[in-house]
Amino acid sequence: MFELDVALRHILTNRRGTAFTLISVAIAVAIIIMSLGLTESVSNQILENTVNKNPHLLIGPKEGESYINMYRSLSNQISSYPEVFALSPRLVGQGAARFQENVHSVEFVGVLPGPEETLMEVQESMVSGNFSDLRFNNKGAILGSRLARNLNIRDGGDFYLYLKNDSLRLKVIGILEKGTVKDETLVYLSLSAAQELVGEGDVVTEIGVKLADYTRAPAMARELNEIGRYKVTSWQDFSPEIARFVGNQGVTNILFYMFILLISAFVIANTTIMVVSKRRREIGILMAMGAKRRSVLMIFVLENMLISLPAGVLGAVLGYVAAQAITLLPLNVTSAAADGRIVIDPRPEFFALALLFAIMLNFISGLYPAYSAARLDPVEAIGSE
Amino acid sequence: MNNRDDEIIVLKDLSKIYGNGVEVRALDGVSLRIKAGEFVAIVGPSGSGKSTLLNMIGLLDTPTKGHIFLKGIDVSRASPDERARLRNQELGFVFQYHHLIPEFTALENVMIPMLIANKSKLRARERGEELLAAVGLGDRLHSRPNQLSGGQNQRVAVARALANDPSIVIGDELTGNLDTKSSELIYNLLRELNRKINQTFILVTHDMTLAEKTDRILRIVDGKIVCEMRRKDDGFDVIDSCELGEDDGKITLLSR
Repeated sequence: MFELDVALRHILTNRRGTAFTLISVAIAVAIIIMSLGLTESVSNQILENTVNKNPHLLIGPKEGESYINMYRSLSNQISSYPEVFALSPRLVGQGAARFQENVHSVEFVGVLPGPEETLMEVQESMVSGNFSDLRFNNKGAILGSRLARNLNIRDGGDFYLYLKNDSLRLKVIGILEKGTVKDETLVYLSLSAAQELVGEGDVVTEIGVKLADYTRAPAMARELNEIGRYKVTSWQDFSPEIARFVGNQGVTNILFYMFILLISAFVIANTTIMVVSKRRREIGILMAMGAKRRSVLMIFVLENMLISLPAGVLGAVLGYVAAQAITLLPLNVTSAAADGRIVIDPRPEFFALALLFAIMLNFISGLYPAYSAARLDPVEAIGSE
Repeated sequence: MNNRDDEIIVLKDLSKIYGNGVEVRALDGVSLRIKAGEFVAIVGPSGSGKSTLLNMIGLLDTPTKGHIFLKGIDVSRASPDERARLRNQELGFVFQYHHLIPEFTALENVMIPMLIANKSKLRARERGEELLAAVGLGDRLHSRPNQLSGGQNQRVAVARALANDPSIVIGDELTGNLDTKSSELIYNLLRELNRKINQTFILVTHDMTLAEKTDRILRIVDGKIVCEMRRKDDGFDVIDSCELGEDDGKITLLSR
């Protein structure tokens, strides 16, 4: 393999050209690793804060009905699916809350605290009090933080929850803050208290379902809609903007990478063209000594490939360091992120992807100059300065 | 007068026409037979086509018309790969400016044709050392071209040309860039190889001192061989065709 010897010698003696190619590829790889890690962690965080803190599926009443009567047997039936991670029957309604002179419209949610906690991880958002206390306190309520502020009510305060002409006296036993608009309207109470207010007996309006894998939600919704008469919707249906955002990220990323690829490809191609033109005579001499076109092509392709490996590794290290540096910046990406910082978690497959990318990039952008080197006419090449 | 078996290269009515629009006849129907072991000089004014002729013989260039027979086989229309193989196996090149690869040592430069021929590195190294010793550079194996003098580099180039035991060694103005003493040294080296291993040499030169030391001088003018002389004892015999040239058609021998 004399091609390898020649390629190696070229790399080691043409330090400047090697450095340019190396750095260009390394930067491309670094940016890709960094932005892969960044966008991945941002969309993960968004999904974590939205999709994963909400039900993936909602099962509603049958067509033409307002309530689910047989919610216990329906729950048992749904939870027998292996994909189902948790479910919680809820009685949801629109009402009003009054405390002293303050009245605000609310969305009350009657729940069984145990299942609801498994589904929504409510306790994590609690500012004060225990979510599980709803179980022992039939007249207890947990309010969204903004609602509590607007009503000017504190823990332990009593207020009235109105639904049309009926009302219920409840005590604030906790306050929660989700970081969403729900904080302005949400009132959690026990299922039995909500049922008392609604007065329709042992019924719910929906069953929230969480799956082990949220991406399975649409398929699962389809399946359940086919076999039963209950109306099942997935998070993609009731949060289309999030679904669209997550989907669009893939497209914008690909465009972004294409541009990085293009720029690096030009740098590499340019460097290789320079190397080839500088070595025209040498190419001619090698041809005069019997090197075939294939060998000349091989020399320059090898040269690029040999640079791509260390460049990829260097880029991976740079990308990792840059990603870590960004996590130290106090950038507020999603308002709900606990400390307002991005967590970048460059996964191993990103490095593999970036390395592969570096090799492909080098290969493709070096191909044309290498090919043109192989097509040189030896007589002209030797005669050239 | 010729025994066809020992004819190593035969050119038949070889023409090379360059250019589109304005035609340039670099070679115009050249026919030539060279036997194994011959030591030939090609002389002529610049632009006469002598380098083109050499490139044809060296299979670096393809003729527009006519045929080239190498060891009796027509190679004038061989594929690029086949010509590359023949250049590697049957031909050795020595250029005006040594044209060694600057990043490689003398030994590595000599090894390249053998590595192209897929010989093992070990064998190539042994043979390279042997050849460099033979050209008097046994102690400069690991020097790079920029650490050697012009004459030394040219000797490395000769060693490189001989690496794969070629049938023919071709030299293009190989002493053109050297002082008289270095030229002498190179000539003596080639002459010795010619005698010792019956190596065929074809040299293009405008250095008459060198040409006169060969066995056969071909003068080429305007793409045609206009005059040919063969060594006879101490002098040269002018044979045939010398009246065809546009100039006086004579080769001026310095020693007369």
